[in-house]
Amino acid sequence: MSIRFDEEFIAGATAAGGEVMKFANLESAFAFALDFLKQQNIKAVVIAPDVPLPSARMEAWPLLRPRRREDYLAAGAGLVRADYGVSSTGTLVHLDRSAAEKIVWTMPPVCLCLLDKSCIVQDLDGISAALSRHLSEPAFEQPQVSLVTGPSRTTDIECRLTLGVHGPSRLIILLHDGEGS
Amino acid sequence: MKKIDAHLRRALQEFSKGYLLKRDAAFAGMDFENLRTELAEVKDKALSRCRELCAQFEAKAHEKGAKICFATDGAEANRLVHSILKAHGAQLLVKSKSMVSEETQLNEHLLRRGIEVRETDLGEWIVQLAGEAPTHMVLPAIHLTRKDVAHIFSRRLGKDVPDDIPALVELARNELRRDIFRAAAGLTGANALVAENGSAMLVTNEGNGRLVASLPPLRIILASIEKVVPTTKDALLLLKVLPRNATGQKITSYVSFIAPSPQQNLHVILLDNHRSEILADPLFREILRCIKCSACLNVCPVYQVVGGKKYAHIYMGGIGTLLTAWIHGLGESAELADFCLGCHRCEAFCATKIRIADLVIALRERINRDLRKPFWKSLAFEGILAHPGFTQAFFSSCRASRRVLARENGFARDLPPSLERYDRFRALPFPAPKSLTQRVRERFPQGQAVQWTTKIVLFGGCLVENFYPEIGLDALRVLTRLGYHARLGEPCCCGFPAANSGFRRSALKTFRRLMDGFTDAEAVLTLCPTCTTMLTRLGPDLMGTKRGRIMAQKVVPFSQFLLEREKLRLQGLLSSRPSPSSVTYHDSCHHKHVLGASHASREILEIALGKKLQELDEPDACCGFGGSFSLSHPEVSEALLDGKIESIRKAEVQVVALDCPGCLLQIRGGCERKRESIEVKHTVQVLADRLCQKR
Repeated sequence: MSIRFDEEFIAGATAAGGEVMKFANLESAFAFALDFLKQQNIKAVVIAPDVPLPSARMEAWPLLRPRRREDYLAAGAGLVRADYGVSSTGTLVHLDRSAAEKIVWTMPPVCLCLLDKSCIVQDLDGISAALSRHLSEPAFEQPQVSLVTGPSRTTDIECRLTLGVHGPSRLIILLHDGEGS
Repeated sequence: MKKIDAHLRRALQEFSKGYLLKRDAAFAGMDFENLRTELAEVKDKALSRCRELCAQFEAKAHEKGAKICFATDGAEANRLVHSILKAHGAQLLVKSKSMVSEETQLNEHLLRRGIEVRETDLGEWIVQLAGEAPTHMVLPAIHLTRKDVAHIFSRRLGKDVPDDIPALVELARNELRRDIFRAAAGLTGANALVAENGSAMLVTNEGNGRLVASLPPLRIILASIEKVVPTTKDALLLLKVLPRNATGQKITSYVSFIAPSPQQNLHVILLDNHRSEILADPLFREILRCIKCSACLNVCPVYQVVGGKKYAHIYMGGIGTLLTAWIHGLGESAELADFCLGCHRCEAFCATKIRIADLVIALRERINRDLRKPFWKSLAFEGILAHPGFTQAFFSSCRASRRVLARENGFARDLPPSLERYDRFRALPFPAPKSLTQRVRERFPQGQAVQWTTKIVLFGGCLVENFYPEIGLDALRVLTRLGYHARLGEPCCCGFPAANSGFRRSALKTFRRLMDGFTDAEAVLTLCPTCTTMLTRLGPDLMGTKRGRIMAQKVVPFSQFLLEREKLRLQGLLSSRPSPSSVTYHDSCHHKHVLGASHASREILEIALGKKLQELDEPDACCGFGGSFSLSHPEVSEALLDGKIESIRKAEVQVVALDCPGCLLQIRGGCERKRESIEVKHTVQVLADRLCQKR
């Protein structure tokens, strides 16, 4: 990944209404996320199953452990990770494996998403093969692919942009170097 | 149609203005023409293998655990959805944008059978609660204000809801989320179906699509057969174009690729509903390339005025008219086909290069053949305009009654109150005292105009011949000043009105006769872009012979001819001081969108004036004339003319130059009614004023 992709990705994601924070490593991205939850007084966070948070560290987090789908409604934030970023559009790409992952991305009003800088590709063509492979994989509960660009938005009333109609009203991308992916 | 909804019109126009800017930004650095050519080819190839790709999709999706059904028509699709829901005991179905389910009228079908249906897209939900039909493909509730929405929500919840947009959205989020959790089944459409892996691509901004497609235990995808593309790569190409062209976004907030798996309860219903018949029709099959981006609606002048309530059966606008004819029947499309102005603006924006306006003309021909011919059009196009003798007799009799029916300023006296809707908004011109042919004969009594030094024919068309002969005379003055001697073409209709209204035989007869008259000409110069469109495109297509196409190559708009052959000379002759007049330019629809000749006229005008033109806010906004359109839909014509005159007024100019005598009739007549002291002139007149002025 070149620096140009990195900058273009940040510009695209920001233009789509997302917020991007840069970190030197995954560790500092987690630290920021935890601090953010405290500062925003968010009492419950759901974490997607594929987020590489060491289990030993989980105690520090105000974790919500949903048993039923409705439980997700209590979450003030969701922490997820993306498999790829697309620089030309500022898009996060996630290769979904289960419905639970998608719910964490969509239900809470704030979505915090980890993205390894080295996983940013230039455009949609760069993820074409990975998409094809994943969609042909029968082993997952819900083999889907989600492309997420900015928060949930609508202009359905008087063409005025309003965020958070179905999904999150804030999408915060934690762009980090290194080992995470 | 009696009344234009002012709020709707304002909302559509504001959306359209913002859309154009956003779309330009979204396509920045990309070659739209190349992209859409590539996408059109991908869609064409997929359509040619439609059955095979559907079978491949079915096999892949089935192999992964989905249940696939094919539905021959809408009724069968509805029955299938109902039987799936019934088998699972589902009482509530949540939906995410599915045009196909609107096509089949699924909601009504399920409601009659006791199954509750909830639209989850905010706009769709609002119109569902209001008991109305969507007004726009992308913004279904654009016709409603926040007050309307608050009122609709208040009625549903039985309590007062404030008309604050964020609060309304928050309320919708909570209500719809509850329903999505409660629903036993979710139904979505698909923007593309991928044959190689049996997945479906779904594009939304709100995120409701992904919730509906993942939360309810039973999931149904209802999509039509032409949505199948061979590969994920093809779907991603579609994704590059769709949001950019639809809303001016580089990509929507959410795009989901949904693939089946054995753990899911996923049903896919593939709907034909007459699409196989469309595929078998070589002329109309390209309408299945449509990706429902609605760009054609966003730039359609008629749609900007009336919206999707009037200009739709279920599918909207020009492309909707074509789809309706096949899917819901020719009868349902007849009235819609009359709405198309034939401006061709949509074709410049279409994501897959569908020739919408040309196909609407072909549809009118089928309507005339199979259903009905409007009496007055039949009389005008088959009875009068197809016979030059009748046409000349008609105008001669008009001239004979000039003292009674015309005013001193050349406009006709006002029509009686019962007909005032036709001239209330623009004064109609009365035929000139003498036709162009008569004026030329008087001026060149020995037939000097027929000197064959360069074999140039000047074809003015009906309006120049009978209403504005001064334009033709100015064209001859310009040609003479530049050393050309031209003769006039036959003073008859070019055949466009007949062709445009689907009267193929009359149009062809006229075109053939005209072409015979051009046999030994080197070039045929035209003063009307609509005539040029007939002579270069519609006529040769109707004729379908090589000769027609060879003859058509001789036909060239006047400005273009001058620019190509005489630019340097004109620059030399007109290099004196700049014109003191402030002049703007109105792009006539055919001149810009069909012939691509606006730039030539602009360049000629700037050479003539010795300075830059003053630009209008939207120079290519249609003036609302459209020939017989202004008689069929005077209210729409009036609304478009009002917009055009308003933008001219804002430009604070003395002269409006243009290239179409029809636009001249409309705008000059509108200025007369509004008492605007703005001169409206043909480009040739502005040029002649500067080039041939007395020194």
